[in-house]
Amino acid sequence: MTDQFAIQTEELTKHYGKVRALEDLTLDIHTGEIVGFLGPNGAGKTTMIRTIMDEIRATSGRASILGMDTHTHSVEIRKHIGYVPGDLAMYPNLTGRDTLTYFSNLRGGVDWGYVEVLADRLDADLSRKVGDLSTGNRQKVGLIQAFMNQPDLLIMDEPSSGLDPLVQREFQTMMRELTAEGRTVFLSSHTLSEVQRVADRVGIIRQGRLAVVESIAELRSKALRRVDLAFDAAVDGSVFEQFPGVRDVVVENHHVSMSFEGQMESLLNLATSRYTLVDITTQEADLEEIFLTYYHDEAESV
Amino acid sequence: MQATITTRSFRDRWKGWTIGAALLGVLLLGAMAIYRDIDVDVYSSLPDVFLSMMGIPEGADVGVLSYAAVYGTYGAMTLAGLAIATGSASIAGEERNGTIGLLFANPTSRTQVLVAKAAALVLLAGLGAVILHGAGLFAPALLDVSTSGTYLGALMFHMFVNALFYGFMAMAVGAWTGKGPIASGVSAGVMIISFIAAGLLAAPALAQFNGLVRVMPWNFYNGSDPINNGVDWGDMAVLIAGIALFVVIGVIGINRRDFRGRTTGVTLLDRLRSHPLTATVAERLAGSSRVSQIWIKTASEHQGLLLITSAVMFLLMGVIMGPLYSLMDADLLSMADGLPEVFLALFGGGNMSTPEGFYQLETFGMMAPAAIMTATITIGAGALAGEEARGTMGLLLANPVRRSTVLLQKTVAMVLYGATVGFAAFAGVAAGSLMGGLGMSISNIAATSLLATLVGIVIGSLALAIGAATGRLSAAIAGAAGAAILFHLLNAFLPLSDRFAGYAKWSPFYYYLTSDPLVNGMHWGHAAVLAGLTIGLVALSVLLFERRDLRKNG
Repeated sequence: MTDQFAIQTEELTKHYGKVRALEDLTLDIHTGEIVGFLGPNGAGKTTMIRTIMDEIRATSGRASILGMDTHTHSVEIRKHIGYVPGDLAMYPNLTGRDTLTYFSNLRGGVDWGYVEVLADRLDADLSRKVGDLSTGNRQKVGLIQAFMNQPDLLIMDEPSSGLDPLVQREFQTMMRELTAEGRTVFLSSHTLSEVQRVADRVGIIRQGRLAVVESIAELRSKALRRVDLAFDAAVDGSVFEQFPGVRDVVVENHHVSMSFEGQMESLLNLATSRYTLVDITTQEADLEEIFLTYYHDEAESV
Repeated sequence: MQATITTRSFRDRWKGWTIGAALLGVLLLGAMAIYRDIDVDVYSSLPDVFLSMMGIPEGADVGVLSYAAVYGTYGAMTLAGLAIATGSASIAGEERNGTIGLLFANPTSRTQVLVAKAAALVLLAGLGAVILHGAGLFAPALLDVSTSGTYLGALMFHMFVNALFYGFMAMAVGAWTGKGPIASGVSAGVMIISFIAAGLLAAPALAQFNGLVRVMPWNFYNGSDPINNGVDWGDMAVLIAGIALFVVIGVIGINRRDFRGRTTGVTLLDRLRSHPLTATVAERLAGSSRVSQIWIKTASEHQGLLLITSAVMFLLMGVIMGPLYSLMDADLLSMADGLPEVFLALFGGGNMSTPEGFYQLETFGMMAPAAIMTATITIGAGALAGEEARGTMGLLLANPVRRSTVLLQKTVAMVLYGATVGFAAFAGVAAGSLMGGLGMSISNIAATSLLATLVGIVIGSLALAIGAATGRLSAAIAGAAGAAILFHLLNAFLPLSDRFAGYAKWSPFYYYLTSDPLVNGMHWGHAAVLAGLTIGLVALSVLLFERRDLRKNG
């Protein structure tokens, strides 16, 4: 057993007939880190998670969790993990407390004091029937369910859907506390902002293939962003056009605007070395632009 | 807009109707082939109560007999059952699925939606009747059986209107309450009770009750014997008036109330839980105990169904039949001598002149296994396929439990349900025998109930296996229910022909009543066959379920 990796996949592949839901996905997730799994709808995030949860079986390749094979040791693995499936569905006729009791019994008991703490932190009402709860309140029960056995690894598929911003923040704090204790979190999302705030590394998946795995800092520096520079005099646009990472330069008298991908520092060095910089505005790249960057690159490489 | 709703509702359901009607067509072909092979004169000597129960007119020939037996009873009930399923899903189904909000986001009035759904129901029933009519013309032509003097079209029209009557009843109840199970439960209950009452009470032996027959909806469908006499416009007018009334009730109902969101049912335990007097005990029962094991939680999910089927078996099919038999006894005895052996085999050798034979025909022949199977199929199909359809299987299996553990625990719940209904049948018949002073052997009643329970569990295991293999709830329910009807009919019809008699052993029902357990007591060999079948099917389910990808949702 190697304790170093929380999740390891080797060329994990899942085909449904001719549909290639997952293609040669190789990914290592270390213990103690939070890894976000990003991708548009239908990219294969859920397929990957369901495969390592042994809900569905890989066409080829293998995966291990905490050093154990996800298929042959699935029961043993599940003692050590917490899981929030995507499109969380629960038993509508059970109350939140009944639901948690049920899963606690299947686990051979959990610390109820901790459950109460979790419910309190997430402001969850456990006395009402799950079917009568709103999406967000139902999701809270799902989150408590995943956290309550203090798992070594949390696997969550779009865990914060329906949660209001306050609860989302609390949830992010809870994830960080977990990793501070050396536990691991793996979550999928299609919103960068969430992943950005909490994750150490991000994997981007597209059409079943892993496009990139990088730290948030690297991803940000690589991301395409709009930069507007204002100078005290008219400038020559060609200086910027030739600079690596710069695209779509538009010069308007004292203003230069461009798309930029790379280290901000180097661009500023260039700008200040020749002219006097008066003002600078940059627009942070949103998820769409990052996707476009990676998808653009991949389309070129194919 | 309305046309769109009608078309969509039609497209959602046409497959079920087509398969149901086509299956009946095949059964008609099979029944005709067997009836052609045997001397049908035996039927002329049967007691009235049986003939009126089965909707078989006097002096029937091969053609009439086949139409009456397959279409008149099973066919009419199947069409009505499909109509009830469609009708109860019309409004209540959309509410349960949480799609009603989306539907009414479009610029249509509630009345328009109801009318569009009603149109789809009429079209679907029409489709079913047309397929049945086609098969009804094809089968005799293929087998060279004469059908002169029969009014197949009239029978079809009666079946069509009859199906719509129950379908619209379900739609009206669904529109009024928004609860699908109540809509289908009420309508199916009215249908079954009126079917039994119309057949039973119409017998000359119960002349004093004949007035009651006139108010039974089922009597308006076949009381006029449409296959021999053509359409009875008076009776049809009554049913059509009933349909119109249901539409009006439905329109009022859907317009007056709040729509429900995704619905959570309120069970008996929930009520006790909220009542201060019973809260503490119920809290323990409904809360901690209920979720302590997978099988207990599964068993807690269909309390209403279990309660109703057990109560029906105990009271209606058990207790009441005893005193009823005392009333009819003399007439049946006088007729019993004329019954030919070949016919008696149809009911496992039961003899109508004895209380055992009577109970076999009325309670154990069809109703007891049907009630037990209702319970076992519900749990068996819901066990895996239901949990997958609701999307909860992923969460359940995120816990450190094996797939086989989940499956076996759910099997325990299914066996428990079958045994409960089986026990209700036993207790009811035993009480009926005591109250009617019939002096039946209690241990033989127990043996028969046990065999009925076992055959019900076999069919429930089949539903489990189909669910394990496919993860599809509808496939599991329809497959097991369809197989049950087929097996029952095979076991009933095949022994009538010397050529095919041996094949009856392939039906699980052969091991239920063939040994005549009400008279002869327990047949352990047959019980072992049924138990073995169950074990085999459950083992197969484990194999199939272990190696399959879970479905994401229904």
